[in-house]
Amino acid sequence: MAVYKRGYQRYNGPLTGRWTRFMVLPRYAWQRLYEQRLVLLLTMVSFIWPLLCTGFIYLTNHVELLQGLDKDFLAFIQVNGTFFSIFMYVQGGFAVFLAALAGPSLIAPDLANNALPLYFSRPLTRWSYALARLTVIIGMLSVVTWVPGLVLFGLQVGLAGGWWFLANWTLGAAVVVGFLLWLLILSLVAMAASAYVKWRIVAGAVSLAIFFILTGVSAMIDNVFRVTWGHLLDPAWSVNQVWRTLLGVDLPEGPGAGASMLSLAIFIFFLVAIIERKLRPVEVVR
Amino acid sequence: MNTHSVVELDNLKVKLGRREILHGITCRLGVSGTGKAIGLLGPNGAGKSTLILTLLGFLRPSGGRARILGMDCRHNMGEARSRIGYMPENDAFVGEMTAVTFLRQMAELSGLPPKAALEKAHEVLFHVGLGESRYRELRTYSYGMKQMAKLAQAIVHGPELVVLDEPTNGLDPAARRRMLKLVTEMKEEQGMNVLVCSHLLRDIEQVCDEAVILKDGAIVHHCNLEEERRSNRSFVELEVTGDDTNLRMALPEIGAEGVSEGGGRWRIVLPAGIEVEAIWGLTDRQNLLVRKLTHRRDTLEEIFLKAMGHLAHTPGESAPSPRSGDISVTN
Repeated sequence: MAVYKRGYQRYNGPLTGRWTRFMVLPRYAWQRLYEQRLVLLLTMVSFIWPLLCTGFIYLTNHVELLQGLDKDFLAFIQVNGTFFSIFMYVQGGFAVFLAALAGPSLIAPDLANNALPLYFSRPLTRWSYALARLTVIIGMLSVVTWVPGLVLFGLQVGLAGGWWFLANWTLGAAVVVGFLLWLLILSLVAMAASAYVKWRIVAGAVSLAIFFILTGVSAMIDNVFRVTWGHLLDPAWSVNQVWRTLLGVDLPEGPGAGASMLSLAIFIFFLVAIIERKLRPVEVVR
Repeated sequence: MNTHSVVELDNLKVKLGRREILHGITCRLGVSGTGKAIGLLGPNGAGKSTLILTLLGFLRPSGGRARILGMDCRHNMGEARSRIGYMPENDAFVGEMTAVTFLRQMAELSGLPPKAALEKAHEVLFHVGLGESRYRELRTYSYGMKQMAKLAQAIVHGPELVVLDEPTNGLDPAARRRMLKLVTEMKEEQGMNVLVCSHLLRDIEQVCDEAVILKDGAIVHHCNLEEERRSNRSFVELEVTGDDTNLRMALPEIGAEGVSEGGGRWRIVLPAGIEVEAIWGLTDRQNLLVRKLTHRRDTLEEIFLKAMGHLAHTPGESAPSPRSGDISVTN
């Protein structure tokens, strides 16, 4: 029967489970995100570097193609911690822009249009809403970060053989763990910015500016007071320290991975506090 | 099927900041599964919205307990929310979605499988009169259409209880009539319980079976509107010319009681089931000429004003004045 002839009847059928309901928000959000041309374009551009890295891995594993090159150069082009460090640095940069572009479109419109009471009047808690939004951003950024990183690692294992995997399996784990840490920070920054600034475009600019501002402030502190701990205020620098430690690459001068992790934990706590304060179905004016 | 009170409050206290908004409210409203509407009335700042937000679990009680459909608003809200639909007072929507996608998402969030959610989204949009606009983005809707879309999302999953916060706010008369008709259909045809929060007495009077009046964070009156209507329908003011000395003795013939105020003026109370026509027959038999017969309906407005303390008693008792809904005959 045509729907306009059917009339409204209450639904009395079976209900879906908790996890199916949890995944409703990410499903709809991903669909909406990839309808945005800029997001799609930036995602595609983000694959250029992994493709170049794929070529690099192929070349390093086919020495016959590199005959005639300088021996020092041949020793330099290795798939090791430094290679993955550079890969992560570039992809991490793309992730910043992608998070700033797509992240605020998830929460800012809900806040601007007062949609939170509609969500929270359903079997969805504030935390599951925030977690669902986090899943959306992390899922989207994963496509251009640790997933291609893991593919590169797998490619290297496939070409170099099992001995390489046994000697370097920590690199694969470092890529996944290191990227997930970075994605968590990017996602929380995007969510906190869009929770605070309800206007999507401004929220995107704020979430991008936070990294530049903190980098500037940390450099200023280091230069003015002639210290190195100022770097701890820069989450990008701290994450890079953690990455380098995980990948076994030499660390630059400054606080170690432990101090960097502590500063990142404080930064994450601060972001979660902002989100907790702002993501409420009703705002109580005290 | 287990039946519970729709809303059960036990010394409920709610604070916003340091200010206590609800001061220990205790009451039981409605019975689940009966398809009745409960009206929540009160002037601005009385605590109506605070009570609704507490019942939905958005605000935490500072004391006492609130239960909705038999479930505690603090500890069992997950389950309760899948059985509740909520239409907020203010604009609330996801602007970049079409109405049908928005409703489908909301239905899925309430636990409907995707296919059923899509079907219900279409059904309910036709039901509220947005069928032709269902593929338009919500941000392009007019205010009245957004109100209807809000109602649609509140009922798309077929809840047992629908909470409507000022549903007719800002609607033109035609849209208001349509909204109230939909609310009436929800309870009468779909068997949903409805909790309507409004400061518009006529809306409450039109659709509700029970009303609670709040003032300064406390319940000042709780009434069964149907009973109120019945009891107040029997109040008659009569003015006659002629010898009315036997009228007092004659009134019990029709089961009525009356008090003479002198000068042919009478106040008569008709018991339930006796219509005002019986007075006409009685005065005819007593050879009295009816100069005035006022059959007053003690409207919710009077109940509300009395509850607010603006009236000590029914206005007609001291100074009758023409009102809508009165039957007034002057010979």
